[in-house]
Amino acid sequence: MLISLRDITKIYRVGIDTVHALRGVDLDIGENELVAIMGSSGSGKSTLMNVLGCLDRPTDGTYLLKDRRTDRMGAVELAHVRNELIGFVFQSFELLPRATALANVELPSLYARGERRRDRRKRAREVLDRVGLGDRMDHRPNQLSGGQKQRVAIARSLLNRPAILLADEPTGNLDSTTTADILRLFRALHREGQTVIIVTHEDEVAAHCERVIRLHDGRIASDLPISEDPAGRLLEEVAEITESGS
Amino acid sequence: MISPAFWWQAIKLALSQIRANIGRSLLTALGIIVGVASVTTVIAALDGLKDRVLTEFETFGANRLLIFPDRPDGYPRNLYPWKDVRLKVEEIDAIAQHCPSVRVVTPITSLKTAVQHGERILEGISVTGIRPAWHETENRSILEGRPFNSIDEEEARQVCLLNDDAIRELGLPADPTGEHIIIGARRYLVVGTVETIQSMMLGINTSSAEIFIPFAMAARLKDDDFFFRATAMIRSPELAAEAESEVRFVLRKMRGLDGDEPDTFEVAAIDQFIDQFKALAAGITAIAGGIVGISLLVGGIGIMNIMLVSVSERTREIGLRKAVGATPSAVLMQFLLEAVVLCLVGGAVGVLIGEILAIGLTFIPDAGLDQAHVPLWAIIMSFSFSAAVGVIFGMFPAIKASRLDPIEALRHE
Ligand SMILES: Nc1ncnc2c1ncn2[C@@H]1O[C@H](COP(=O)(O)OP(=O)(O)OP(=O)(O)O)[C@@H](O)[C@H]1O
Ligand SMILES: [Mg+2]
Repeated sequence: MLISLRDITKIYRVGIDTVHALRGVDLDIGENELVAIMGSSGSGKSTLMNVLGCLDRPTDGTYLLKDRRTDRMGAVELAHVRNELIGFVFQSFELLPRATALANVELPSLYARGERRRDRRKRAREVLDRVGLGDRMDHRPNQLSGGQKQRVAIARSLLNRPAILLADEPTGNLDSTTTADILRLFRALHREGQTVIIVTHEDEVAAHCERVIRLHDGRIASDLPISEDPAGRLLEEVAEITESGS
Repeated sequence: MISPAFWWQAIKLALSQIRANIGRSLLTALGIIVGVASVTTVIAALDGLKDRVLTEFETFGANRLLIFPDRPDGYPRNLYPWKDVRLKVEEIDAIAQHCPSVRVVTPITSLKTAVQHGERILEGISVTGIRPAWHETENRSILEGRPFNSIDEEEARQVCLLNDDAIRELGLPADPTGEHIIIGARRYLVVGTVETIQSMMLGINTSSAEIFIPFAMAARLKDDDFFFRATAMIRSPELAAEAESEVRFVLRKMRGLDGDEPDTFEVAAIDQFIDQFKALAAGITAIAGGIVGISLLVGGIGIMNIMLVSVSERTREIGLRKAVGATPSAVLMQFLLEAVVLCLVGGAVGVLIGEILAIGLTFIPDAGLDQAHVPLWAIIMSFSFSAAVGVIFGMFPAIKASRLDPIEALRHE
């Protein structure tokens, strides 16, 4: 199994209060899955994402990523895991404002070890081509549209060929047309073998995925194939969008 | 460990960061700029002065020994009265005879007196009594006529040598040999003219008239117990220490000083003065260094402040870098490098300003700084110090950046 969470809890301490963001999550995700994580605001989606992305360590529980215990790793080792196995896409893009699209995409290679250092320019061009921005390499973020910015961010997350692509509300700042474009891109990546996990509020987004995990108050409330999830009723629409796009 | 591309990118980023906030960066680096500019200027001035003084000493002969009476410090005054301490002619003769490392020695005595030529009377002209050996201890050419010879001295002939200012002030012809002037109620025959050596450092006023007469004649113009000093010429510069101890031995013996008694005279080789000057220059450099240290400290605090601002402004960027795999040490290096680059840019501006000021110094008339220049070592030192300030004062903000939690950093507004 690519990802295996056992009894993961995350407790935040704020003053004398404790917030249980995750209350014992068990979860397995295999290679090449396309997963949506849903749930109301404050249900723990981002917290779970951060744990999956090794940005944050759980308070308790075990997390095996590619059979390695990440919950026991130190800051340096976690940084290497993030660099080599994880691609993160954020709601607010998080591009460096003064760097060109190409330089933004190259960023992870600056912190890479061994093989991943090589040909960074060439690989950055390839992934930018892949997300359809071959003609925008030298543009700076303020010269790009929101959708284009998110494509640059996706290209950046793909640079080091991550084992999992994590996207926390990637379309939260985008209009519906652009959202459809980005989702089509995720689906295409998925078809090429990429494991993708998307956090979203919107059924329209979840409907593009194959599996929907619903969180409630820090626990997994349901974990169903899309056809059995309420979001599945939108499946026909999705098919239309996908056809009209490709 | 960290990729070469990382270093290159970090330097590029640091420079673009400085360029983006050029005004703020220069203001921040002001302390460093001022510190480096002032130290390079002071060093340039001192170095120029040192070169100047050394060439001056060269001109006046490195092979010279100065001998003069000196009451020992820290002894009761009545023990060594000036009358006993003063040099005597016999002592000079003994030095000439018994010191093998000394080639020649001449007593020198100066007085100010009235000098007359025809109608013209000049008061307070410098008249110096010398022996013929003086022509060897000073390298001052005879321009007209002849130098003094031993007969002038032995027979105490009333002859004199003049310099150009004396000729002019006394209204003598350009070649005054054969003319007569009156010094202290006696007629002296002018036998030659002597070159004037320009010097500011050794206290010889460039625009003064000088008249030289045989030492034996000068002695008659003075009281019985008059004071004089002596200059000896060493056979070769390496013999300086030997010559010094020979002279010391002869004088102590003549004065009957016991082993535990102090010298009642001073023997100094010219390089001792050079050493003294070098020590003085080193002292001034140290003081200047202290002042610069303070301004670098102030500058460093400015750097630390701006780096803290930069870290907090770029918290999200730090979070992102960590999210894509930057290790804490990579983040630390990035910010440290940025502080160092900022300081080096400040150092470069400071060196530039120092260089311009040093060039400016060479145009100040009569300051003796026409050889002022910023030596290479001062430039290297300036950059090293700037870099060190960057490392020291950039460390705290860089550590702060490296310890940021990636999630919190990304959530930062
Ligand atoms: N750093 C923190 N300190 C304290 N409490 C936190 C912190 N981060 C999250 N929480 C709390 O943990 C709970 C889960 O937060 P999380 O961000 O995972 O929710 P979410 O499902 O992503 O919500 P949203 O849809 O609004 O993004 C919330 O109650 C939140 O207040
Ligand atoms: Mg969230």
